[in-house]
Amino acid sequence: MATRDSLSGPDPSVRDRLRFARQSVGERMPTPGEGIVGYVFLLPAFLLFGVFLAFPIVYTFYLSFFRFEGVGDETLLWIDTGFFSYRLTSIADLSFVGLDNYVRMFTDTLFHQAMFNTTFILVVQVPLMVALALLFAVALDASFVKLRGVFRTVLALPVSANLVAYSTVFLLMMQDAGLINYVLTSLGLPAIPWLTSSFWSRMTIVGAVTWRWTGYNMIILLAGLQNIPQQLYEAAEIDGANRIEKFRYVTVPQLRPVLLFVFVTSTIGTFKLFSEPVIINGGGAPLDSTITIVQYIYQTAFIDFRLGYASALTYVLIAIVSVLSAVQLNVGGESDA
Amino acid sequence: MREETRREAVWQFLTYGFILLGAVVTLVPLYWIFVASTLEESEFLSSTDPTLIPGDSFFSNFQALQARDNVQFVGHVGEMTHYIDFGPFYVAYDFWNLWNMGAIESSIFVAGVYTILSLLLCSMAGFAFAKYEFRFKQPIFYAILATLILPIQLLVIPLFLLMSQIGLTNSYWAIILPWLANPLGIFLMRQNMRSIPDALLESARMDGATEFQLYYKIALPTMKSSLAALSIILFLFQWNLFLFPLVILDQGKYTIPVAINQLVGAQRVYYDQIMVAATLSIIPIFVLFLFLQKQFVSGILAGSVKE
Amino acid sequence: MLEVSLDMTNNDGRSVGRRTVLKGAGIAGLAGLAGCVGTGDPEPTETTQSSGGSTDSSGSTATPQSRLAGSAEVWGWDVAARAMDLLDEPYEEANGGDVSINQIGRADLKDKFKSTLLSGSGAPAASMMESVDAASWVNTGGLRDISGWLEEAGIKGDFVEGKWGPLEKDGGTYALPWDIGPVGTFYRRDVLNEYDIDVDSVETWDQYIEEGKKLPDGQYLLNLPSNDYDGLWRMMLRQIGGQPFTANGDVNVASDKSLQVARILKRIRDSGIANDLASWSSGWFTAFGDGTTASLTAGAWMEGTLKAELGDTSGQWGVFKPPAVESGGSRATNWGGSNLTIPAQVSDEKARRAWDYMAYALGREESQLTMYREYGLFPALETTYDAEAYDDPHEFLDGQPAGRMFAEIAPEIEPYRYTIDTPEVTQAINTHFRDMMAGDKTPKEAVDAAAQQVADRTDRDLA
Repeated sequence: MATRDSLSGPDPSVRDRLRFARQSVGERMPTPGEGIVGYVFLLPAFLLFGVFLAFPIVYTFYLSFFRFEGVGDETLLWIDTGFFSYRLTSIADLSFVGLDNYVRMFTDTLFHQAMFNTTFILVVQVPLMVALALLFAVALDASFVKLRGVFRTVLALPVSANLVAYSTVFLLMMQDAGLINYVLTSLGLPAIPWLTSSFWSRMTIVGAVTWRWTGYNMIILLAGLQNIPQQLYEAAEIDGANRIEKFRYVTVPQLRPVLLFVFVTSTIGTFKLFSEPVIINGGGAPLDSTITIVQYIYQTAFIDFRLGYASALTYVLIAIVSVLSAVQLNVGGESDA
Repeated sequence: MREETRREAVWQFLTYGFILLGAVVTLVPLYWIFVASTLEESEFLSSTDPTLIPGDSFFSNFQALQARDNVQFVGHVGEMTHYIDFGPFYVAYDFWNLWNMGAIESSIFVAGVYTILSLLLCSMAGFAFAKYEFRFKQPIFYAILATLILPIQLLVIPLFLLMSQIGLTNSYWAIILPWLANPLGIFLMRQNMRSIPDALLESARMDGATEFQLYYKIALPTMKSSLAALSIILFLFQWNLFLFPLVILDQGKYTIPVAINQLVGAQRVYYDQIMVAATLSIIPIFVLFLFLQKQFVSGILAGSVKE
Repeated sequence: MLEVSLDMTNNDGRSVGRRTVLKGAGIAGLAGLAGCVGTGDPEPTETTQSSGGSTDSSGSTATPQSRLAGSAEVWGWDVAARAMDLLDEPYEEANGGDVSINQIGRADLKDKFKSTLLSGSGAPAASMMESVDAASWVNTGGLRDISGWLEEAGIKGDFVEGKWGPLEKDGGTYALPWDIGPVGTFYRRDVLNEYDIDVDSVETWDQYIEEGKKLPDGQYLLNLPSNDYDGLWRMMLRQIGGQPFTANGDVNVASDKSLQVARILKRIRDSGIANDLASWSSGWFTAFGDGTTASLTAGAWMEGTLKAELGDTSGQWGVFKPPAVESGGSRATNWGGSNLTIPAQVSDEKARRAWDYMAYALGREESQLTMYREYGLFPALETTYDAEAYDDPHEFLDGQPAGRMFAEIAPEIEPYRYTIDTPEVTQAINTHFRDMMAGDKTPKEAVDAAAQQVADRTDRDLA
């Protein structure tokens, strides 16, 4: 038990007593210089964030109100210290269009299609994957399972598979006369047009993404399972709980923060889906049926050079995902923690 | 009693069945990648007679991969084609540059450095969010979290511009620094560090521990399994990065995903070489998992003492 | 003493209508980074003087005495990069300097190069650019106008006329043509012989379709991939002199010529002679290998690809001029082709070196013929077309001297108006032609819908 205690939190009775103690003293015991200590710990993250991400983020927002007219080349700013000189040229010729870029989205059918595809994949894929990941995590956490290290590694390996390689193999497996359809037909089931029908090509993406990321999420859930105090299971056993009940009343509630984390990150991950549809599209799927929102933004920026519109799309994407994540966090009970 | 053991046996059978099925479904594509790496391209692509039996062309495919003029996949000793820019770390500079790194070493190196630095950064930030009160805590936290949503594909142009302004083009730092403050990592550490009892910290404070000691003597050791899980997340994130490394790095410094993409020609795709490269690139991850098993197992062992 | 100046003047005098032009996006962000140095005396004239090499691209090409940089980097992909490698050594022997060829995958090169263009730094001295991308890349303003050098060298007239359109904008020229893709219909001699199809008697697509009906089920005359309708559409449209956009930029996708092509594509699909395999997929290659798809209409470069992929079918292939859309019509069109371009951000010295290499590699008959012989890159340099190299028999094509046929086709190719919105056309055609093939739209409805979609998405008018 000793090992377990050092790895996990205190047992709930200690926690409750602490909470009680805290509440009775007021919100928290004051610590000297506390307000600043937090910032000090945050400083490194802050600096890097400020240097490398603040500019792209602000610039993207700025761009979303302009139309890109071409590459700029005249000097904007120059510094001459005598020791070194530095010259900054303008990045782009831009013309101000106000909210045009945002307004245009309402009539952009391809954008609507991309949103639809992404949402479709999201609704099917995320619950499926999280459920599978949870089941695998719980199964591998069972005390009687031998070789769990090997299984864990095997299940988590797909995420390291190179994208080109795994997509190629997937394309081959999903072909009309491929392995999957061979298995289906030998079971007496009809073959499925995995790559050529709009519906099934989306399902192929769902399958590919689920295959790739289930093990990864399982690892995270497994780490969460190990932080559940063993005493809770023991207490439940004493109360006569069976496996399902233990899962329902101990595992799931205790795992809630981690599950929430997995849900939120998977949702965001699916919204950012990019490479898989690019390659699955190459397999002959109807052109627009698998295009995802990030894929569309990428096309708008890198192929059509409509940087302003692409920036506006990015911000709308961020807004949608933020709201969605906030809802998930609220429903998941993050706010009361 | 017998009823119970029988039910237990059925339960164990079902559990094993589920795990085995999952393992098989997971392994088939990976196995196929491996098989493809041991076959000649035409054997692999033949639609009339696909095979799942390994052939004997692995080594010749590997040689063809290594002989390519536009990709150095595995490094070698010999005339240097490029140097790693270690910035201030001159000692490491001399040591590493004895070996002419290929894509696979570059990826291991970059992902390794990234993981270590990011673990440090994320755990510090997570500690701050979990255990301290300060002004604007919630807004800052959610702002950091929101960056998770940014698609890197669209950050490429402004980031490239920034890197060229500060002279970091074609440097590994350019693909390490921007995402060191990993929002996922900060979120995960914050979530887990909240379970560290305040009483523990308070009593350490009473004993005269500095705030930084609280972090590395109390918070970090209790977070071992979370740190192990996070290191996998961080390593894989960097391992799979594609677009920005492609844009910012020159040929000699390509990481694995970029290098493999060079095998996709305009008309011709070198499947045999891609599969060899893909097979080889799984090995480091496999080793990483085995290495981190210890962290997981220590937790699991404690759990199995119960009988 | 620190001096920082901000210069926001619009100095290129480009008319941008009533919209305000704000130059210098990103001042806010970057000034923030440099903010620690404070601000000083803004004096625009001094700014340009203090700034190392001028990047003003329009005037610089006319300065003959500019020095050449010692080294230059050139980007290219696949066979093209290898072809440049071939000329690297002879060039350096003849002209000095050190030109290094950087071989990058096609899609990757485009992403990488576009990033350098858009962010104004990190570009190579020169890069390969496909004609199909040219209009949109030129339009970014990130490429250098080489018209001065081109005039000086006096080689503009040596290239096929139809190649220049997308490389030019507002009187400037932004790339030097490299190769073109005169189209031929490659066919499996053994298969067509077996079913008694004589390509010499085929003049039009309708005749070709009729011949194809002799083939049994499961044996296809050609492939019409549902992910790539626009490829064939564009090829045929160009053949009959059609244009996707009018001269003043209106969307012309619904023109009579476009409709004519749509009808032929629909007839091909309906006649059952066409396979439907995704272009470049493994199944696509396999079908050409075992002869279940018996012909392929594509650029001259396709021979090299087929040879590399399906080496054991060597000698079983032949090629003939693509069928005409209507009797007596042209049998010349183009698919593919590249150019070399110099980014505007490159210093004058480097640009000079890059131009010197380009003129050597692309503007000399000997270089172009070397690349043709070694790698099958069909020269855009028209002056080479009477060379003996084109009469060489091609072993892969059963000894047929295909080069001569393509050299006859090349000068007759109509120019084609690629624009920045070419990708939109591609997308619209594919989307609506799919409906047409499924019978949900008539050809007329399909081209009208495609035209409308392009117009909507690009703010252009319908022609």
